[in-house]
Amino acid sequence: MSREATDNGIRVEGLIKEFPGQRVLDGLDLTVADGEFVCLLGPSGCGKSTLLNILSGLDGDYRGSVRFGGQPMAPGGKPPVTIGYLFQEPRLLPWLTAERNVDFALENSRVPRARWAAIKDRYFALTGLQAFRHYYPHQLSGGMAQRLSLVRALAIEPDVLFMDEPFSGLDELTARRLRVDLLDIWRETGKTILFITHNSYEATFLGDRVVVLSRGGIRDQITVQVPRPRDYDDAALFQVGKTVSATFIEAAEAAERDRH
Amino acid sequence: MLLKLGSMLAVVAAWFGLSLLLPDTVLPGPWETLKVLTENVVDGQVHEHLLATLGRVLGGLALAMAVGVPVGIVMGLNRFAEKTLDVWVMVALTVPSLCYAILAFIWIGLNETAAIVAIGLTSAPSIAINLWEGVKNIDTRLFKMARVFNASRWVVVRRVLFPQVLPYIMASLRFGLGIVWKITVLVELLGRPDGVGFQLFYWYQLADMGQVLAWTLLFTLVMLFIELVILQRLERRLFAWRPEVRL
Repeated sequence: MSREATDNGIRVEGLIKEFPGQRVLDGLDLTVADGEFVCLLGPSGCGKSTLLNILSGLDGDYRGSVRFGGQPMAPGGKPPVTIGYLFQEPRLLPWLTAERNVDFALENSRVPRARWAAIKDRYFALTGLQAFRHYYPHQLSGGMAQRLSLVRALAIEPDVLFMDEPFSGLDELTARRLRVDLLDIWRETGKTILFITHNSYEATFLGDRVVVLSRGGIRDQITVQVPRPRDYDDAALFQVGKTVSATFIEAAEAAERDRH
Repeated sequence: MLLKLGSMLAVVAAWFGLSLLLPDTVLPGPWETLKVLTENVVDGQVHEHLLATLGRVLGGLALAMAVGVPVGIVMGLNRFAEKTLDVWVMVALTVPSLCYAILAFIWIGLNETAAIVAIGLTSAPSIAINLWEGVKNIDTRLFKMARVFNASRWVVVRRVLFPQVLPYIMASLRFGLGIVWKITVLVELLGRPDGVGFQLFYWYQLADMGQVLAWTLLFTLVMLFIELVILQRLERRLFAWRPEVRL
């Protein structure tokens, strides 16, 4: 399949998802521009993971429309673009070495075999894992394992990257390093990224835009106009982070009140 | 390894000590038993009976695995299957092995098929339960990972489910072997004209303790060999990727 259409934006309109007795997504509209880094922030139970399940084609039972680069996704069908996914845990296959774990993803992708070696070299180098290609997952630290799952997600040459709280299980120091590395990789590859988190400052540091979800819809959106490359100790960034944090807490409290 | 050897020597020594106190018709010593065993081997009657028994053990184990493994996996993965089958697995487990043997011999006849069916069906429920418990522990989050990365259903089964189930299959193979060989001896005693079980019963009727112990010893040695040398090695090779090293 040709990939001349380079628009890899996402457009979600009127998305409704119901579980028995509960409407998790209530007419959600969300647009992510091609190459944009959008962070989704919201209290637990606000439908973040449900949204990712729908967008990645795992959950076909919804109403509303989902488009990738203008191409519609049929409900119950696969997304019309290639998606790379990072989970909260690395989710590596423990009986395969680091490199074989990446091969597992490649084998199920459209990437021609002739390019595998070059792709792996590139991303193993980019994440600093060259020396660990023959290690088994249990021999890697938490941060390294998550880097490896980043290699796996990037190796299939995704048009879009979905990240579901990928750094929330790591210690803060490791998480910081990984965030910086992720931004480097993003700058180099220009992927469209949808990043879910419940950490306001992480969202602010990473995103072009932070979308705060609540009660199945968007409560607020904050564009982070701090120029890149960003610095953790940047006062301007911290200011935006405070606003984001306040909005997030408001949303969480509103959701809390709803429940009672 | 040294500990194992030491404990084995201690048991043999205790056997020897006890045999000095008791008459030979009750407990012959290790030396006498070994002598009877060697004579049997030289006579050439050992391998005929041993092969008959091992054939039944293998056949019965294969049948037990063929029935027990799929049932256990399905029960572990599917709630509906678990709810419908668990009572029946329990019932099948409760029925005494002697009943399976009698029923098989009456319904199928006094032949090899009946023997293997009886052995297989007796052990299948234990294997199913073993696998059922094991499969509950597998990491289902990996299935979602595989689906997100576009793996087909077949790829998920072969490359994500199977490697996780394999340790439990191996465990139930070893565990099943232990059950199967005990039942095989019983089935042979009941309805076969050869095999170790038949020999045990024959010498029991003649009240020849030397022969009874010789056949018991032979069978134990063969099973230990299969367990320690063949199965453990196979397991070690298959699960080299696992962090915890088994004993």
